Amino acid sequence: MNVIEASGLGKRYGSTWALRECALAIPAGHVAALVGPNGAGKTTLLNLAVGLATPSAGEVTVLGGRPPGSPAALDGIAFVAQDTPMYKNLSAADMLHLTRNLNRRFDQRYAEDRLAELGIPLKRKAGKLSGGQQAQLALTLALARRPRLLLLDEPVAMLDPIARHDFMATVLTAMADDGVSVLLSSHVLAELERVADYLILVSRGRVQVAGEVEDLLASHRMLTGPAAEVGRYARRPVVRLSRGEAQAHLLVRATADDPVPPGWETHPVGLEELALAYLRDPAAAALPGPARIRSAEPSELTR
Amino acid sequence: MSIDKSISGRDGAGASPPGDDGSSPTEGTGRPTSPIEFRLDPASGVPTYLQLVQQVEHALRLGYLNPGDQLPKVRDVVAALAINPNTVLKAYRDLEIKGLASGRPGQGTFVQATLSQVALPELTALRRSLSGWLTAADGAGLDEDGMVALFTSALRDFYERRNGSHTRGGAARGETEGVA
Amino acid sequence: MTTLTVAARPEENVTLRPVPWRRMAWVTWRQHRIALTAVAVFLGALAVSLWRVGIGLHHAYAAAAACRPATSPLCDQLQTSFTRMDGFLVNGYVLQAVPALIGAFAGAPVLARELETGTFRYAWTQGFGRWRWTLAKLVPLAIVVTAAAGALSVLCSWYYRPYLTTGNLFLPEESPLANLFVLRGVAFAAWTLAAFAIGALAGMLIRRVVPAMAATLAAYIGLAFATGLYASTTYRRWSSRTSSTRPPPRGSSASGGQGAAPR
Repeated sequence: MNVIEASGLGKRYGSTWALRECALAIPAGHVAALVGPNGAGKTTLLNLAVGLATPSAGEVTVLGGRPPGSPAALDGIAFVAQDTPMYKNLSAADMLHLTRNLNRRFDQRYAEDRLAELGIPLKRKAGKLSGGQQAQLALTLALARRPRLLLLDEPVAMLDPIARHDFMATVLTAMADDGVSVLLSSHVLAELERVADYLILVSRGRVQVAGEVEDLLASHRMLTGPAAEVGRYARRPVVRLSRGEAQAHLLVRATADDPVPPGWETHPVGLEELALAYLRDPAAAALPGPARIRSAEPSELTR
Repeated sequence: MSIDKSISGRDGAGASPPGDDGSSPTEGTGRPTSPIEFRLDPASGVPTYLQLVQQVEHALRLGYLNPGDQLPKVRDVVAALAINPNTVLKAYRDLEIKGLASGRPGQGTFVQATLSQVALPELTALRRSLSGWLTAADGAGLDEDGMVALFTSALRDFYERRNGSHTRGGAARGETEGVA
Repeated sequence: MTTLTVAARPEENVTLRPVPWRRMAWVTWRQHRIALTAVAVFLGALAVSLWRVGIGLHHAYAAAAACRPATSPLCDQLQTSFTRMDGFLVNGYVLQAVPALIGAFAGAPVLARELETGTFRYAWTQGFGRWRWTLAKLVPLAIVVTAAAGALSVLCSWYYRPYLTTGNLFLPEESPLANLFVLRGVAFAAWTLAAFAIGALAGMLIRRVVPAMAATLAAYIGLAFATGLYASTTYRRWSSRTSSTRPPPRGSSASGGQGAAPR
């Protein structure tokens, strides 16, 4: 089952397209990371998936074909928006009561146990909790609904490192226990490789890369060799070139089985390096379809 | 790379992952059930699942793990390290393929065999040939870092070749293969 | 190529019973209890004031009306003391404001606060659903508010009875009778409901609490004035046509007055 499917999806605000021609098929059972610079369209995509916005073009379905915002979709999706919106005047216990009333499924016991573990007092008003506690409260409320899909919009952006770690540990443990699929958006690349096994790169409203991390890493290599010979690789799908005077690095779409020319070394690529390379060049894409060939330019950074 | 010397399961010393007490029906009271505990070096450049595999092999070699011991439960690893459960599953699967571990449904993953210990005379012979190589490298002008780089590169290529990729690429010395 | 993945949870029955409506009752109460309490206190205070002043009015009127002969100085004095009570105008204007205030303070924040603080991103992504949630909030609040206004208007009718008895000669000359139309019977409750609806709509469109309140008041005032003018014009036209004591306006034909009534 695909937890999110989109084809030709686009959203326009006024005359600006926040998202265009987005095609996705995110499988269940994964942690999908939605990565891109600020304003790339990540929040727009999440809002479309959860029914807070309607598409201007194309269509999107969730949880195996359900329309976003429909009762069937809302039942199975839990969303934690950016800055974890919360009713500041309600206590944590009130928020539990509220969420229990608004949903078909709610595991009150799990929620109370979890809040007790985290040291969040039930009687305290939500507005008086720290940032990390508010985030954990919002996450607890979401997970207590026993969703099939958890959507998180930049959940850890405002959290300190410990809170960040605990938050992600909670999410991933829920995945291990319950089989929840996760889609989280982030503009922090550093912790991606530990957490994500499906990557979606968004830049300037378009999806550049969408695929399983394992496949992506297996299908890209870093070639290092003499700068003078770079020209002969203009034919190959080159994602990024960086060169010094004598040495150049080419990030190419190739597998470990592809033969390597003499005098060149090949290395596997890490996820962060891969993501950065694509994000630096918004025209490059790793999707089914023709990849743009970049010509060798001497204006790149040296390693 | 070192293994945390926390023999937590045996002595009941409280090194279990925090916030982890028994909400899963397959666990008992939440006590750590494995002799070892994983750690993660995010900056090492080694993929996460591979770090886990290597830590298990290392523990086997050093005797922290013996056949019949249970590897940490997936859930515990995830809760402690905040990594993707699929990564842990992949590591355990890898160990199964290597024949070092086997999974019992509903119970966990257990160590199945030890790593073959290399016999002492072989170790001595290997060490002697290594010293010879080091002398030759030194005579050719390589310094310590150069030796390490050369060795690491060759080691990586060796394993890539062995682990199913049939490329003959990667070696930066004198191959006259055709251009791609 | 697929990787080994944690097994996703099995499919559930997709045809779901919707979350019952009554679950929102607690939600609505908990989130709007301050507004509802304020409305109750406000209307309660008004009711008490109306009761107290009204008792005095009724006594004064009864005394003045029962006085015989009607033109004696004693009766004149009673008459004057009644008209000087001025309960008509002052309370009239105060009561005018009630629907506006209710609309602004009870109606506008319902949606505006959610949109302003961003909590709609939580509320509208729960299983209850966006439209049902909105309905489940607005409808009960509207009912409560309208019922309270209806109760108050019963009291108002009683209060204004001295002024509205047929043949009442004690009315001040240029009485803004049109105002009365607002405050009696169904009209008052209807105006309150309308103000509440305007408030909710303003909240939805403007998305900020304070500007939505201001817009609600402005819209209500505009509407009340327009209606008041129209009603008073129509009333005068109607009363001039039917009253035998006023001269017919120039140019009026038998088929119905087309000309403007004299003011």
